[in-house]
Amino acid sequence: MDSSPVLRNPPLVALAGWLVPGLGYWFLGQRGRAITIGVTILIVFVLGLLIGGIKVVDAPDGFANIAQKPWFIGQILAGPVSVVSAVLADRTKVMSHAHSWEIGTLYTAVAGMLNLLAIIDSAHRASQESGA
Amino acid sequence: MIPAAPYVYHPFIDPLPWAWAHWAWTLLPLCAAVALVYKSIKCSTMSRVPREAAVIFVWIIVGMVLAAGALAGLVKVMQ
Repeated sequence: MDSSPVLRNPPLVALAGWLVPGLGYWFLGQRGRAITIGVTILIVFVLGLLIGGIKVVDAPDGFANIAQKPWFIGQILAGPVSVVSAVLADRTKVMSHAHSWEIGTLYTAVAGMLNLLAIIDSAHRASQESGA
Repeated sequence: MIPAAPYVYHPFIDPLPWAWAHWAWTLLPLCAAVALVYKSIKCSTMSRVPREAAVIFVWIIVGMVLAAGALAGLVKVMQ
């Protein structure tokens, strides 16, 4: 399922991996890895929204207030899907169940942290390929 | 007296109803996903991923159960 790399620039590979989880590997020609990682991360993120409701993605009011909602740092690493979710959550009135909300927040933040691992690894592989 | 309106669940808006009571079970898919992504990153070939991810999934669960048992025991001793 692998093919030849179409992109070897590490920053661009990292950016692609943030925009769509797994896309960095896809550009490196590692399509099996790209699909496995991308689909898994997106499923985890969507499961988090399903378990806790979309309000689990709760953006702080400005960068200065990030310490009040530090889990958003993890969530934003999952890509633009978290930004869209935060915008939609802002327009939603919702009820809260403590356990469900915590688990949903955990799922979405872990999805972002897993994507950070994938971004770092794909950029590292790109730097090795560009140096080879 | 006004009768209470029946509860209507809206997916992705309301929290999942059963997750409230069975939240511990929701950790299983999360552990499976962590194991799968971690091993997909670590393994040199994707053919090794399913087996290695299954092994590390079991280890994560065993570790979490042991940690939970240890913490429960600690709480009991301190009470």
